[in-house]
Amino acid sequence: MILIITMFMLVIAMLFSLVRMILGPTTWDRLLALNLISAKTILLIAIYAVYSERPVLLDISLSAGIIGFLTIALFARFILFGGRTK
Amino acid sequence: MIGKILLVISWIYIIFGIIGIFRFENMYSRLLTSSKIDTVATFTVLIALLFYTGISEYTVKLLLIIFFLVITSPISNHIIVRSAYLNGIPVGQKEEKSWKLW
Repeated sequence: MILIITMFMLVIAMLFSLVRMILGPTTWDRLLALNLISAKTILLIAIYAVYSERPVLLDISLSAGIIGFLTIALFARFILFGGRTK
Repeated sequence: MIGKILLVISWIYIIFGIIGIFRFENMYSRLLTSSKIDTVATFTVLIALLFYTGISEYTVKLLLIIFFLVITSPISNHIIVRSAYLNGIPVGQKEEKSWKLW
């Protein structure tokens, strides 16, 4: 029961991060919201793996973390070297 | 029991993280809030899952995820701040809001 409430609050936090991504004034606000959604996704998959008693899902959580970190690094360098900034 | 207490504490961190994103007026302040409170919420939930499951086949993978996030979570926030600073976003200056929540 307490795991279900935690997953529900994580989904609500992802929705508010999506609002920040829509009305963020600069590009880096949108990158911040992307970073937050990536971290919340790792937590959501890890909690669901404990809830449904399938430890294989933790591997998917780890690979989602790797993909999120690579996405942040590549987008930051792309914006720094000649992407659209405004 | 310790796992359930830590999960309840993590709800408070998640709520404060959401408030801090919408409360501050500068981009660097929002990044500071998200990088501190959201990282703490992440580690609280993962350590709570360690206590919740006990010693089982979850333990090694959860420790691996915690070790990976300890390394990469400050680095990704640092990359965003460096990209914003080198593009000339002014530090310590309020931006005018077109909307108001508080």
